[in-house]
Amino acid sequence: MLALDKVGKIYPNGVNALARFSAEIAPGEIVAIIGGSGCGKSTLLRAIAGLDRATSGTVSLDATAISAPHEKIGIIFQEPRLLPWLSVADNIGFGLSDLSAHERREKVARSLARVGLSDKANAWPRELSGGQAQRVAIARALVPQPEVLLLDEPFSALDAFTRRDLQDHLLDLWADTRPTLILVTHDVDEAVVLADRVLVMRPRPGRLFEEINVNLSRPRDRNSPLFDNFKRHVLIALDRSLDRSVPDRDARSGVGQSMWW
Amino acid sequence: MAMTELPLEQNSTAVPQAGTIAPRGASTPWSRLARPALGLLLPVSLALVWEFIVWRGWSNGRLVPPPSRIFETILALARSGELWPHIKATLTRVALGFGFGVIAGTMLGAVSGYWALARRLLDPTVQALRAIPSIAWVPLFILWLGIFETSKVALIAVGVFFPVYLGVMGAILSVDRKIVEVGRTFRLSGPAMIRRILLPAVLPAFVVSLRVGLGLGWMFVVAAEFMGASEGLGYLLIDGQQLGKPAQILAAIVIFAILGKTTDWLIEIAAAPFLRWQDAFGKQGGQN
Repeated sequence: MLALDKVGKIYPNGVNALARFSAEIAPGEIVAIIGGSGCGKSTLLRAIAGLDRATSGTVSLDATAISAPHEKIGIIFQEPRLLPWLSVADNIGFGLSDLSAHERREKVARSLARVGLSDKANAWPRELSGGQAQRVAIARALVPQPEVLLLDEPFSALDAFTRRDLQDHLLDLWADTRPTLILVTHDVDEAVVLADRVLVMRPRPGRLFEEINVNLSRPRDRNSPLFDNFKRHVLIALDRSLDRSVPDRDARSGVGQSMWW
Repeated sequence: MAMTELPLEQNSTAVPQAGTIAPRGASTPWSRLARPALGLLLPVSLALVWEFIVWRGWSNGRLVPPPSRIFETILALARSGELWPHIKATLTRVALGFGFGVIAGTMLGAVSGYWALARRLLDPTVQALRAIPSIAWVPLFILWLGIFETSKVALIAVGVFFPVYLGVMGAILSVDRKIVEVGRTFRLSGPAMIRRILLPAVLPAFVVSLRVGLGLGWMFVVAAEFMGASEGLGYLLIDGQQLGKPAQILAAIVIFAILGKTTDWLIEIAAAPFLRWQDAFGKQGGQN
């Protein structure tokens, strides 16, 4: 269980990026965090990753407070951030330096096969396409088998086809060990296709605005009316989150839980 | 000879375009020969033209001796056994000065790149010293260290120090924060972060600074040998000037060129296996 308790972040320059954000995320759950720019979603993710410390509140994983990068929490960034001087295989094995060379090789080979890049094991990162590089980044984050995987707009730099392909691929990989996924995105489609739960945030200061449970069975059909309905729902929540006349407190009771189909 | 190889050069450049990804180290035997040959085209034809002009008697070539006379001089020096001690003396000075300069430059550059407090303490002084033309140290070094080897090596080391210092510090400061963050998410310790992230990231710039430093080392060895040396290639230059032997001066210059290029090439070769990953314009041979 990942617990966020009144997490807040005020940057040294006085910007109040995040205020009193609370949520509980169950193991194996997929949560998408969506919101307008400057709503603190990346700040929140970096606090969970232990890369930046929250200025108030706590992040805890199974009752252990997180204040620095944790071995059970992996992260995938918007860019692949592969190390250009390591081959694809060595990049994937980067987080496995504790293992013996033999074990590491085996895990890396399995992981490469799993993401469909066995033929690229000895390639340099520069020789990969954007989608391939991001798949290597996913493999690198997943190979130490984290309990929580954080994704910071992981597919936003890719073209629409590659993005869909990787979204499906991510779900496929997720099914192997079912880690908790927390995905920051600004793509409503992506949030609805991946998440069990969508958290809509509103800016200045960044805070939780609305929670939407996406109780659609998987695999999800992007073209079904039900899917569209959830998308519209998220879009309405996003619109309302940016409308200053809508107060925070009422937000939850709105169209939220009572679905009308 | 270059004429016949030109078409082959064009052939070989077509190879990488055939696949989407050029295979690593893909060079046909042709391109391996043709590319260096292309670089020889200009100097060799200039030399041949001058040789021809002197041979036809259009110029007596007394002040600018033709290539054949320069090579005769080199051969004569080599046969008399004079040449090797000169080369050895110069090489030893450059090697020692380069070694000390690189060690000092790397250590101080690394410290001020990695540690902000050290940079604030150290860097302004180093930058101020850098502004002094290094030759200006010569009288002081001679007073302090005597007229023999020590002062010469010290001068060369000073010349090598600054580019290496700047290169290492700049390279560390410009390591991509995003890559360092990857190291942090995998919880690398301080030494592991240096070994697995910072060192490889800094290496390309370090090699460049070594090559710049070596170039300056060769420059400063001449300056050092101008002031009272009894052997060395710089001594050959001065000797040639005083005795009016332009062929000897040019012979020494040619040897400087060969040694400078060879040592630079050695650094390049030694570094190449570590830099194969680089994605640079020059790696593909630039614009074909």
